[in-house]
Amino acid sequence: MRKRYLSVAGAFVCVLVFVGFSNPSFGQEKSVSYLSLADYTGPSAGLDNFIQMGSEDCFKYINDRGGVDGVKIKFIGVDTRADVARVVAGYKRYNRDPKVLAFWNNSTPSNKVIVPLATKDKLVMLTPASGEAVAKPGYVFCWGQTYQDGFGATIDWILSDWQRKGKTGKPAVGYMNLDNSYGRAHMEGGKEYSEMKGIKLLTEFYNPGIPDYTTYLTRLKDCNYIFVGGVDPNPTNTIRDAHRLGMTKTTQFICDYWGPERGSGMGIAMHNEVVQDAVLVSFFIRGKDADAHPLAREIWPKYRQKPMKEMQGGYIGGFTLALGFAEALKMTLKEVGYEKISREGIYKAYLKLTGSKFSQGIQTECTYSPTERRGSKGIKFYRVKGMDLEAITDWIMAPDTVSLHKF
Amino acid sequence: MRPCGVFDKTYEKDIAIVRTWQHWTILAIAIVFLFFLPFILSYHLVSLVNHIFINVIVVLGLQIVMGYCGQISFGQPAFVAIGAYTSAILTTQFGFSFWFALPFAGIMAGIVGIIGGAPSLRIKGFYLAMSTIATFFVTIWIIIHLKITGGNTGITPPPPQIGSFAFDSDERMYYIIMLVMLGMTYFARNLVRSRVGRAFVAIRDNDLAAEVMGVNLYYYKLLAFFISCFYAGIAGSLLGHYYMAISPEQFSLMHALIYVGAIIIGGMGSIPGVFFGVTFLQIIDELVLYGGPKLAETFPWIGSAPAASLGVTAFGLVLIVFLIFEPRGLAHSWETFKASYRLYPFKS
Repeated sequence: MRKRYLSVAGAFVCVLVFVGFSNPSFGQEKSVSYLSLADYTGPSAGLDNFIQMGSEDCFKYINDRGGVDGVKIKFIGVDTRADVARVVAGYKRYNRDPKVLAFWNNSTPSNKVIVPLATKDKLVMLTPASGEAVAKPGYVFCWGQTYQDGFGATIDWILSDWQRKGKTGKPAVGYMNLDNSYGRAHMEGGKEYSEMKGIKLLTEFYNPGIPDYTTYLTRLKDCNYIFVGGVDPNPTNTIRDAHRLGMTKTTQFICDYWGPERGSGMGIAMHNEVVQDAVLVSFFIRGKDADAHPLAREIWPKYRQKPMKEMQGGYIGGFTLALGFAEALKMTLKEVGYEKISREGIYKAYLKLTGSKFSQGIQTECTYSPTERRGSKGIKFYRVKGMDLEAITDWIMAPDTVSLHKF
Repeated sequence: MRPCGVFDKTYEKDIAIVRTWQHWTILAIAIVFLFFLPFILSYHLVSLVNHIFINVIVVLGLQIVMGYCGQISFGQPAFVAIGAYTSAILTTQFGFSFWFALPFAGIMAGIVGIIGGAPSLRIKGFYLAMSTIATFFVTIWIIIHLKITGGNTGITPPPPQIGSFAFDSDERMYYIIMLVMLGMTYFARNLVRSRVGRAFVAIRDNDLAAEVMGVNLYYYKLLAFFISCFYAGIAGSLLGHYYMAISPEQFSLMHALIYVGAIIIGGMGSIPGVFFGVTFLQIIDELVLYGGPKLAETFPWIGSAPAASLGVTAFGLVLIVFLIFEPRGLAHSWETFKASYRLYPFKS
């Protein structure tokens, strides 16, 4: 019995020793850290995994080329499962490390807890598309365009498409999304914008994790356009159920940034027939545009060793987070040098990224400034064609709908 | 097992939790240690201990209804949410103090718990598990759609205060959480040794036999749910004021699985088992939190995503290992370990 307990205790100590004393390869060289509080295994894992892979590989690429003026960037990936307690635990585990100069948090519900902590610690936080971050500029920066602005751009696209088809009057537009803070975010400004444009939205919100969307879809059956939110495969499954109801013949489905994606196991491959002609709004390039991007052509095969067709949009989008951080780091190093680098310095550098083209065409130029927190203002529309996404518009500057809502 | 040479000469001594001077010494040292913990531990570890203590309160409640009374419940996160929201609404919208809101949060969760637990009067086993899951979803849905709860946006409750002194940091909140946890543990420890606790155990072991013996099943089952949810409500109140922000997505079904997992790992029907289970799971989580990035750094070919995702795998594996090799949990291992050392070298 004693031997058994001692062996278990021994194994436990070995784990602790590995965890506590493993020699980091960055120990001897100049380095800073980027913390990623990402949902690797939770409800938005399908999206976040690729974004984080993209950021991590881009950091590897930068490091392999000598880092930023000799300073390497360490990527710390923590799985939060979109669980607030784990986000807090992950944040508090790493926030006292002075080398951590910025962090990513994709979970909208945890923002309420994390934003005050980040503000107190003066730590730059990057988050996908929060309108509140734009309305109340602080230490939180949006990765790209906000949800509501993207939705506003969609309303404009719908109106022009309606006219293009020679229809008169206003189209009936439905909005369907998760019944949570992310799903409601598009409406915080987007709803006001639609009303301003004379469109009265029909909205349906569903519980996360439901297997069938038929009930909600039948209530929107008379809509000419339906905007479908959610993280793939949610939107794909919604369109699947709409297809079964025969709605895809009469209704144009439009998805938000996290809509049907290509690659094995993703929506376009799984339900290819039903998602044909679905439109996707995006603040970063995808599909064929992404395949043609020189940086993607260099990084994806090098670090993932897979054909370009397997690369998801989130992956190339993740580059811009890494490139933005590298750009801010470069500016800070130039101003104060490695020894005096600080969080405040990085924050100030982020504010000066206005007009910077660090994203190399993956997004439109950066708009961060003392009063602006959108990563970029451009929006591009894509359509599912075959097994891929094809651009149907050039970059469009999305309307400011955030200012229409009182946060 | 009692230490050799310890005899109880009075009934009071026989029922005492702390029996010997050695026990008293250990208890005194432990309490002093707990009071000085924030001065010893780093800020991050204090936060970790706070999470452990809050989860201990939730799982203590679950242990009462599940481990002692034998009623399966997956609805515990919903009652944590009710406690958190009750406390937040009372403090932010009605101007009550945290000290009033804290017990009221427990009572509110307890009352709703009676409604949620009512199906246990007619159904048991898997059916009851399903009904508690339904209770969870209905509760969260109601929270999302009520105006007073702030819908999906949630509420930002203030930190607890005494005069102008605000408990607005991890270290300060630690003392409130720790004292409440100690009080709740003391109550639970005594409850399970009382007439009520024995009735719970009788229902768990054989409800028909218990009824024949005169145990009022309706009363005791609902009482178990009330107490369990009261615990969850208290924990929810602490959680809300500790985070100073609550939203419906903080309370997921995954948490219900973790709470039940903590009971399985710690040991069904054991108060120390709650501490073992919660601490063990939290330490595993912590090791993954720290070890995942280290692993990805030491072996870059693994990649950050798989390394960081070890937490879910670890939770599942640990649960399987415990169910196969130690179904009575860590509490049983601890008892066996103590007995083994007590008898050493007379036992191989």
